[in-house]
Amino acid sequence: MAFSASLIYHYDLFRRGRRARLCNKSLLRVSYRKSVAQWPEDSVERNVVSLPQALKNIRVVDFSWVRAGPWATRWLGALGAEIIKIEWPESERGRLPSTTTPQNLDVNLNTSGNFSDTNVNKKSLSLNVRTEKGLEIVKRLIAISDIVIENFSSRVLRNWGLGYDELCNIKPNIVYVSMSGYGHTGRNHHYTTFGPVAQAASGLTYLSGLPDKPPAGWGWSYMDDTGGMYGAMCALTGLYHRNMTGRGQHIDLSQMVASVPLNGPALLDFTVNGRGSRRPGFPPGNRVHWPGTPLVNNYRGPTVAPHNAYRTHPGGYNDWCVIVCQSDEEWRSLVQVMGAPSWASSDKFATVAGRLQHQDELDEHIEAWSITLDKYELTERCQASRVRALPVQSAEDRVEHDPQLRHRQMYQAIEHPALGLHKVQNAPFKLSETPASNHLPAPLIGQHTKEIVEGLLGYSHDELRAGYADGTFWPKTRQRFLYMEEILL
Amino acid sequence: MDGPLAGLRVLELADEKGQFCGKLLGDLGADVVKIEPPGGERNRHVGPFLDDIPHPDRSLSFWYYNTSKRSITLNLEAADGRHLFARLAATADIVLETFRPGFMASLGFDYESLRKQNSRLVMCALTPFGQTGPWRDYLSSDLLHMAAGGEMASCGYDDVDVPNAPPIAPGGGNAWHMGCHYAYMAIMAALVYRTVSGQGQYIDASIHEACALTTESAVANYVYRGEVLRRQTGRHHAAGPTPRTQFRARDGGYVCALVGGRLNPKFVKDLAELLDSYGMAGDLKDSKYQDQAVITASTSHIIDDLIANFIASLPAEEVYHAAQERGFTWGAVRAPEALLEDAHLHDRSFWKQVEHPELGRGFIYPGEAAIYNGSPWRISRRAPLIGEHNTEIFCDELGLTRGDLMILAEGHVI
Repeated sequence: MAFSASLIYHYDLFRRGRRARLCNKSLLRVSYRKSVAQWPEDSVERNVVSLPQALKNIRVVDFSWVRAGPWATRWLGALGAEIIKIEWPESERGRLPSTTTPQNLDVNLNTSGNFSDTNVNKKSLSLNVRTEKGLEIVKRLIAISDIVIENFSSRVLRNWGLGYDELCNIKPNIVYVSMSGYGHTGRNHHYTTFGPVAQAASGLTYLSGLPDKPPAGWGWSYMDDTGGMYGAMCALTGLYHRNMTGRGQHIDLSQMVASVPLNGPALLDFTVNGRGSRRPGFPPGNRVHWPGTPLVNNYRGPTVAPHNAYRTHPGGYNDWCVIVCQSDEEWRSLVQVMGAPSWASSDKFATVAGRLQHQDELDEHIEAWSITLDKYELTERCQASRVRALPVQSAEDRVEHDPQLRHRQMYQAIEHPALGLHKVQNAPFKLSETPASNHLPAPLIGQHTKEIVEGLLGYSHDELRAGYADGTFWPKTRQRFLYMEEILL
Repeated sequence: MDGPLAGLRVLELADEKGQFCGKLLGDLGADVVKIEPPGGERNRHVGPFLDDIPHPDRSLSFWYYNTSKRSITLNLEAADGRHLFARLAATADIVLETFRPGFMASLGFDYESLRKQNSRLVMCALTPFGQTGPWRDYLSSDLLHMAAGGEMASCGYDDVDVPNAPPIAPGGGNAWHMGCHYAYMAIMAALVYRTVSGQGQYIDASIHEACALTTESAVANYVYRGEVLRRQTGRHHAAGPTPRTQFRARDGGYVCALVGGRLNPKFVKDLAELLDSYGMAGDLKDSKYQDQAVITASTSHIIDDLIANFIASLPAEEVYHAAQERGFTWGAVRAPEALLEDAHLHDRSFWKQVEHPELGRGFIYPGEAAIYNGSPWRISRRAPLIGEHNTEIFCDELGLTRGDLMILAEGHVI
């Protein structure tokens, strides 16, 4: 693989940064607390900082790839677990292909922005597990770990000789979380998923869209985000159970199956009342009811109007605001915010039933007003009068314009050796004693191989060099990154 | 066999924002005591209702989100109510609350006060925007969160399907799910830490932040490349147009067939075999398609002619299974009720019969996201009736007499 000039530049910065850091520990402490400018291989500094972490001393062997699995271990890492990502460049999916590499950098294994955000707080061990030597090394690692997590299809780990029974032989109380598309049991266990397929097959996609149109679905792999959440939730639950009972277990998570319970009320409407979702007026877009169709609840809370998205000034692609009135009182407040226009005093809008029946007209009137205001201004005016309104926000809006996310420090910069200084997403919760933090940038591939193989597992430096020579730690024929050469010095 | 959270006592003071988190804790084995205002929590009034007859004990939405819980009623704004809550909190493991910021403190139940009686207590406040910040006191709803969180900016239609379509908020109440997943995670992290430290802690969780985190690469696309993504029918947001992935089947259903970005000689060869097994390969078996340049030049032909026609000729379910059996990551777009027929879910014993003894009936509920092989995740009981467990908890546990209960009821405390 070609070695990019920019990566050399960043790597040089990386080394200089380490030297500077060693000269000024007090400065480092400040920057650590801000989660800014963290450098890899900082185990010494992590001990300097005394913030407790919920998962301190928990080690995770992380075979996960693409997105759902890495999103799970990202959070275990943010909570303080040591995440050791097992990677192999020839069968890597997650770093490449990349559509999120900055325009000024070459696309390579270390320059995906999305990978970088999804893999903070982890270390990378490049290892060919499909060799005898690689398998032995990973078994030694599992023997001193607490959790094994992976999101391969259902038989991969077992075929490698790392099925749950074997994992128990290596570490009797291991918590093993498998995150396959369809689970390890059931006739379709060999089927495969990406988020959109799990969403389609589970009924999630169907619940999004306008009546009489194709499903709009979800505009991303919602079930990679959510499947990842369940992966982390299962790992933590299994870990708690282990700490209380001394027993590990295999938790068989399925991305497709995990999607189904997210349709709970729609499913009960069918199993209890016999009412399916294939019906006129469903799904009702951003509304909770489509005019001219039978009045039934559409699984998004109370059946009220207004309940829609409205264009705002200056009418650009994401210039929209949503407004919801859950009571007549909230409606009357909205009327005041709109300046008490004469149309709003009509009796047909005075009740929920009337507003639902005349939604098309109602929405037209509201939009004639909303289009005159910027979406943030509209939000502030409405909320000041206790009217439910918020702007539709793009990623740019959230990162740059959302005052709440700014106040909560949702996006904070972290220095990555190949990508430079960029904002990454923080946890949506604040634990008072053990705050989650982004304390390590996403690893370069194989960046921590020496630290893990020599430092943690006790192999000699000669053995490490031999492993690079024989293709255990990096493919023999593949060009190494510069930092690997330093590892081998 | 007990669930993994057996032995934990949760006090749930939650509405639509947090009830799913309580369900997760309860279905996984915790003893979740839902504390409702006298008369019942307001989500009991959200439809649909059993046989479309509105009643606070007949809300299917409430049923679904409140399995495996017990219910007591308690007016926290009455002195006796506060006293009883303090007694319960003194022995609880978790308090989950979704009141507006400051409300618990106004009752004297801020975390610092509660921990004085119970230093092991984990308290999670799950609120729309968290306990601090300029939007702290803003009102919200599922739709509002889907807007501000970024979901809507990524979901919608190609112009060819719906010209000038608005951004679309996916249905089903998923803003609440997102908040509850993260709240559950934070609570579990605190519980794991408590097994080591012996101490509880306070969690300030924000639904807005949870939603803002749940748009996959949208933030990375902006942060690393400055891109704002466009909405596309049934597939990923993207900086520019991408090939469609949703095709109409013969029965009027749709199939999600991921093709774009995967068109290489191996894929096309497999695709030709799949289509050929139905006699619909067209010219795809021609050896010219082993040349990547020809494939790339034929993208529209392959997707818009061959695949679209193939799917249009078959029922969506048949395409789904035939394709998956040949290794294609494709799926039928199913209405939720179609899942009841899914053999794979039956093999995994996914559907659960939940008894409603007061009705003399049982109903099928969706089960668990994962199979825990060492400690089951399962619904232990239907959602409670209003105050169903007042006697069990106030009398049997706290030692109140039936006479005490009468006085509390008459005083609108329970």
